[in-house]
Amino acid sequence: MITAEWKPIEEMVGYLRGHKKVLVIGCATCVAECAAGGEREVETLAPLLAMAMQNDGNPVEVKSATLERQCEPEFVEAIAEAAAEADAIVSLACGIGMQLVAERFVDTPLYPGVNTTSLSLREEPGLWTSRCAACGDCVLGLTFGLCPVARCAKSLMNGPCGGTRTDGMCEINQDTPCIWRLIVERATACGRLEDLTQVRPPKNWSNSPAGGPKRMLREDLRS
Amino acid sequence: MANNSTAEFQPRITLLYCRQSLAPEVKPVQGSRTGQGFSVRLVLLPCSSKVQLPHLMRLLEQGSDGLQIAACPEKACQHLVGSTRAEKRLNRGRELLEQVGMGAERLGLERGAGLTLEDLMQMAGRRADAARALGPNPMKGV
Repeated sequence: MITAEWKPIEEMVGYLRGHKKVLVIGCATCVAECAAGGEREVETLAPLLAMAMQNDGNPVEVKSATLERQCEPEFVEAIAEAAAEADAIVSLACGIGMQLVAERFVDTPLYPGVNTTSLSLREEPGLWTSRCAACGDCVLGLTFGLCPVARCAKSLMNGPCGGTRTDGMCEINQDTPCIWRLIVERATACGRLEDLTQVRPPKNWSNSPAGGPKRMLREDLRS
Repeated sequence: MANNSTAEFQPRITLLYCRQSLAPEVKPVQGSRTGQGFSVRLVLLPCSSKVQLPHLMRLLEQGSDGLQIAACPEKACQHLVGSTRAEKRLNRGRELLEQVGMGAERLGLERGAGLTLEDLMQMAGRRADAARALGPNPMKGV
């Protein structure tokens, strides 16, 4: 899922100074699963913002709504009336959902309530860890299903580096396993360790986010 | 503001208490009560774990000066981890209240078993003391 984390409330207060009617909106999909922008978080943040703004000397009226999906135009229409009454919107959706709302309600300032951080897996309650970097040239078929782009601190394609700790964890973060250790272990378990010795062509990074904005077109799906 | 006078300030507390924390002979009570220098609204819960952050924040937004949760002892929760979850949520709420300048001490949790109405009133009184030190809730009357 796409994961996000709340921005510091102080930063949101800074955005909202001068506004009087604020609409806080959430999204009931990814950001709800990572406990950043679902209904529960929206209904927590809305009163907190009202209190923060009151204490800041800039009282605001705060309303709230949680959309089924903030990245689908049909669902965004549900807040048309509330958005028309607001003079600012705070969105707790990922960057995708936020931008759709900004594009739909062009004359209402929109501010992010979260930082969109990663494509992650919920490993256990309260813990999300990266699994995908949307790099545009998936190598999972070569790395036994484990991603070195998202899960190696250096995104190494030929790990492990010399920094793996003796307990198999990464030198950058002792709570993160060295993914290349896990790749080697999985290759061994599959009886195909030799596969990792093969020389491969360079990875195509031109299809990664560094390659500029993406545009995916499927003529067969267009109306 | 008249209610900003600390001499006159009588905190309005909301006390959310777990049904299971009461002594067996105590009949659950709800509604408003008046204590020494404070008023309290008692809210009965089937388990303290039913408390969610939106409830706490809305109560404060609506003008409660302090919120107190009465939970069972950690190892005596009928739902095993209910009171532990409530405490974790409460701690998160306290952090958030600090961030917005409301003061963490507006929110508290005490544990107890075999509680009486008098015990609940004493818990509310302790939260009232903490709220009194912070002053009236700025959201009051907004």
